[in-house]
Amino acid sequence: MITRSFSVLLAIASLCAATTPSLSHAEGSKAGVVVLQGGKVPFDYVDEVVVPVPSEIFSVLDKLGEPNWHQEERSVKTPDTTDRTRLALLFGSVVAEGFVAVQAQDRKAVEEIGREVIDLSKTLGIHKSVLPHAQAILDAADHSQWSTIRAEFDRTQKTVRQTMDKMRDAELSQCVSLGGWLRGTAAVTSVVGKNYSADRAELLYQPDLVKHFHNQLAKMPADMKKHLTIKAISKGLQEIQGLMEKSSEGFKVESVTRIGVICNDLLKMITPKTK
Amino acid sequence: MNRVLRSPPPLFSLIMVALAIAFTNLPFAARATVDDAHSFAMEAAVPFVADGFIVREDYWNGEVKSGQKLMVRHQLFKGNDYAFWLGAANEDCTMDIQVLDDKGTAIHITPKIGIGPNFTSVRVNPPRTGTYSVVFSVTSKTEKTVFWALAYGYR
Repeated sequence: MITRSFSVLLAIASLCAATTPSLSHAEGSKAGVVVLQGGKVPFDYVDEVVVPVPSEIFSVLDKLGEPNWHQEERSVKTPDTTDRTRLALLFGSVVAEGFVAVQAQDRKAVEEIGREVIDLSKTLGIHKSVLPHAQAILDAADHSQWSTIRAEFDRTQKTVRQTMDKMRDAELSQCVSLGGWLRGTAAVTSVVGKNYSADRAELLYQPDLVKHFHNQLAKMPADMKKHLTIKAISKGLQEIQGLMEKSSEGFKVESVTRIGVICNDLLKMITPKTK
Repeated sequence: MNRVLRSPPPLFSLIMVALAIAFTNLPFAARATVDDAHSFAMEAAVPFVADGFIVREDYWNGEVKSGQKLMVRHQLFKGNDYAFWLGAANEDCTMDIQVLDDKGTAIHITPKIGIGPNFTSVRVNPPRTGTYSVVFSVTSKTEKTVFWALAYGYR
């Protein structure tokens, strides 16, 4: 009897040993890590490319001049919809809007975005994991702690993606990244367009990243690929990729403008119309 | 009345030891070890943060065969200064990290800061905006597998 109990306990312990290691990756990730065979580096690998936060690009624009970030700010509002694909895309774009507000050092806008993040996370059913970040954003906004706010927006996006991945919503997690990239890129094209220089425009050279997004959309389930916004984004990304690949030796002003138009048109599909 | 402290029965002790080994050595130690690797990577980041670097929340970690080369593909922007921090939880490890352009040319520099027994760092000023390959490995003198974490920051 005791021997049997011992065996059962050992079995439980073994099960824990087999299942718990996944927790060890709760914060970090293996996504995008390629095991190199024979030491050969696959330079054409684009299945997983690290998606930068908008502030990585904004910081270069700041070094190249003094953009008027206030001009780039847009109001945010949760749409009256239960469409989770659209909400996930919007979530990413709202977080990107937060990065724009941080660049503008606009306390009021950061507070509004922080509240919008809470509302959106409630609609998406992930508010428990997002609330601590949103609260930290609001607290830091009270004291104009811009670096803290920037870090919290980064954490918010990461937490949301991880929560969605755990909920087996990996596609929605991709939509968050994509929505953020679209809004960030729209802001970059606007800043570059207002004061064009080859150095500023070069920041848009991201063909592998766009290819990565396009591949992720192609891997989505059939019903999601039929989603009107996803179809439009897929088409838009293809055109953006073409424009970027043609611009390896430098962007023409028209290409910058066109990328901006595509991003803005796509953003209009995911953001609610303001009166 | 004399109270007699009795030793637990040997089988009971055996069960407790087995449970202790199962619960502490296997799952939780694995968690701690991967987390330790990240802590070491963050230790490498400390002098960089003091120098104005912003640490990204996204990082990678895992367990891999000692000496196995790994790679992540990374979009870098000309005009930014990047730092990559590699941490290893195992003792007596050598760490290698390189940032390569699309032709395989190394573009990183090894800084004087952020280097220690369990972590190493490289810095990159990308010559062009584009995608780069970050290739890294951790080699242990004693272990077959190693726990690692890779993080990055920019300014």
